[in-house]
Amino acid sequence: MSIQNLNTFDPFADAIKSSEDDVQDGLVHVRIQQRNGRKTLTTVQGLSSEYDLKKIVRACKKEFACNGTVVEHPEYGEVLQLQGDQRENICQWLTKSGLVKPEQLKVHGF
Amino acid sequence: MDEDMIFDPSLKKKKKKKTGFDMDAALAGEQGESTSVEAPAETGDVDLPEDDNLDLDNFGKKKKKKKKPFFNLEELENALPETPPAEEPEPQEDEVIDDLDLDIDFSKTKKKKKKKNVDEIVPDDDGRGEDQENVEDVHGDWIGSDRDYTYDELLERVFDIMREKNPSMVSGKKQKFVMRPPQVVRIGTKKTSFANFTEICKTLHRQPKHLLDFLLAELGTSGSVDGNSQLIIKGRFQQKQIENVLRRYIKEYVTCHTCRSPDTILQKDTRLFFLQCETCGSRCSVASIKSGFQAVTGKRAAIRAKTA
Ligand SMILES: [Zn+2]
Repeated sequence: MSIQNLNTFDPFADAIKSSEDDVQDGLVHVRIQQRNGRKTLTTVQGLSSEYDLKKIVRACKKEFACNGTVVEHPEYGEVLQLQGDQRENICQWLTKSGLVKPEQLKVHGF
Repeated sequence: MDEDMIFDPSLKKKKKKKTGFDMDAALAGEQGESTSVEAPAETGDVDLPEDDNLDLDNFGKKKKKKKKPFFNLEELENALPETPPAEEPEPQEDEVIDDLDLDIDFSKTKKKKKKKNVDEIVPDDDGRGEDQENVEDVHGDWIGSDRDYTYDELLERVFDIMREKNPSMVSGKKQKFVMRPPQVVRIGTKKTSFANFTEICKTLHRQPKHLLDFLLAELGTSGSVDGNSQLIIKGRFQQKQIENVLRRYIKEYVTCHTCRSPDTILQKDTRLFFLQCETCGSRCSVASIKSGFQAVTGKRAAIRAKTA
């Protein structure tokens, strides 16, 4: 048994927990990955689950003329995948459509 | 596309020539010499020697970047306090000539440069004289009246004091942060070597593992440091791309978020990283490095075989 008063208080315990529980962290992460050769893949993680990602991907595919899909991830929820480097496109599109505020976007990659 | 273009030999040559001109034009004679001698030797040493083309290419690129966007600007900035002629960089700079200024963004540097040019044209004394006058004026206002300081006055006062105490900040209020460019070489078709990775970690005073984690998370790939202390990254990356990522790393994990001084310590505290500034004493938490969602890009059959 531990004596509660002697426990050190960790003021960041909540913060750590919540940042790990809540993988979304309020940000939409746009990443790029290299595939074989010069092909690349753009992933969009952290879109609110209230949105219908299937519809979004359908619109994006048409708009950017690329293929895309929605992947269900146990930790990160539904993730958008688009072929090619669509980071610019998707960022513009998401902000223009009002789905995501510009400051919520976090673009990764080179 | 980019890659192809850069690996096109004809383009390469053009670029090289151009940089030569730039160098001559932009830099004083001694400097030009020192770079041209220094740089190739070094790239030759550290880079993989088998592939001359890549070496050249790398070299050329480096030159170009250095000379064009950074160097002139940075030299200008640095040269400012002592030497009025903008074209000629300070002698000190010669030593670090091969270095690349990884200051965060171009737009800002450019803006600043403009400002500074104005400063430059107007003799330095003028600026300072004005400042002092301002101080006096403000003091004068307060004498004999019991009114409160207005916010603007306080602000002005604080900046005046800052400028007075830090003459080096007068021009830009920006800390210089010079480091060598990353040496990036392709290995075969699928891997990239970041040859001076360890060296850069040392320059930045950061654990190689931390920078490694960040690079790999940002590039969405895997990699490791090999026996020659170079970083081998899976995938094809160009120097410019690595540089961009490095720049972002520096912005988030090296330079102080308050005063932009690079003189900082990164401490791990209860699983969060804190950036402690040695210059202004500010301390703030920095984003933890997460690679986040990783799409399956390899051969699915192979992965299935592994997990099954
Ligand atoms: Zn600071």
